[in-house]
Amino acid sequence: MKNSFIYPIIFMMAVTAVFIAVLAGLNYATADTIEFNQESELQQKILYIFDILPKDGAEEDVEKVFNENVIEKEWGELRGYALTQGGQETAYAVPINGPGLWGSIIGYIGLNTNYTEIIGIEFVTQSETPGLGGRISEDSYKEQFRGIDISGKMDEFIVSSPEPNSNVDAIAGATQTSAAVVKLINEDIKLFLQEVK
Amino acid sequence: MTKTEVKKIFTKGIFTDNPILVQVIGICSALAVTNLMMNSLIMGIALSLVTAFSSLTVSLLKDHTPKHIRMMVQVLIISVYVIMVDIYLKAYMPEMSKALGPYVGLIITNCIIMGRAEGFAQSNPPMPSFFDGLASGIGYTFVLMSISFVREILGFGSVFGISIIPETVTRWTLMVMPPSAFFILALIMWIFNNNRLKKQKEGVEKK
Repeated sequence: MKNSFIYPIIFMMAVTAVFIAVLAGLNYATADTIEFNQESELQQKILYIFDILPKDGAEEDVEKVFNENVIEKEWGELRGYALTQGGQETAYAVPINGPGLWGSIIGYIGLNTNYTEIIGIEFVTQSETPGLGGRISEDSYKEQFRGIDISGKMDEFIVSSPEPNSNVDAIAGATQTSAAVVKLINEDIKLFLQEVK
Repeated sequence: MTKTEVKKIFTKGIFTDNPILVQVIGICSALAVTNLMMNSLIMGIALSLVTAFSSLTVSLLKDHTPKHIRMMVQVLIISVYVIMVDIYLKAYMPEMSKALGPYVGLIITNCIIMGRAEGFAQSNPPMPSFFDGLASGIGYTFVLMSISFVREILGFGSVFGISIIPETVTRWTLMVMPPSAFFILALIMWIFNNNRLKKQKEGVEKK
């Protein structure tokens, strides 16, 4: 019987059906948790840009603060977020993306409503070398992007060391990543300003 | 199944037949995820569980599986367990899931699992197969932890993320890059196999 033509087909189908049922059940049971995790992570990052992330906050706090203060906003094809206080928009998180050293870097950059100041930055996806380029996700690098004046500039908003008059320090040992980040920020802010002005 | 049999299976999986040091299989992930000890530990646990349970399942189904489609069935079983681990990490350890990236999904293609399923589970009863898979997984974890210990302490100055070397000591950049894993794995293999061969030789001479 085991050597018949039809047995292997039926066996394979039966085994596959059983395993798929198990996986589908597991997937169904965890789908909500996974979605919540992903949403919460993005919310945390947006709150970080606006510098209103609750300290040691639980995920529920993050959700609450996010829902109270942040709304989605669109500029043409760009989808970002706006910080609102008392019904008034006070800052924007604008999407940025571009090639890094190993893969795409995707993130958001915070601007005030006059587009004269960069208020923060956060990376959503990056696959730079851990411990080198990957350090762009560390606070010591990201905190440099708080309160950078870009009023009057049409280009070169961010200038990274070792260039003269730099406003951001590059990461030692990660020259290419640092340069890529600066390049993609400058390009995307320029595009954004062209869109809104 | 006696205690000595279990012990024999474990010594084989961890030492005398260590999948990485002796059989030299499944080293792709050993090179890729060893820059931090925590990543290696989670990867090792994931692989041990997948190997153990897929060996168990393969062994349970072996009497009903037609010989010529057994590989198809094995791959199916392995992928099911890997997807389970992947879903679990995504739901309950999202940070770890991000750190390990595509390597969790790639456990499916890890030669160790297929090797144990085909080489042991296909011709042995369920319980020994389970232990055999677990032992090979522990052997793998043990090597990964050794590599990542060296890489993390020299590259980041920390152990399990706890900083133990002062900031003033310059970090060895190469250690956080993938190539360093080649050197360290090779060194560990060299030391281990040297010892192993020496012991074998002594054993022969004593007889």
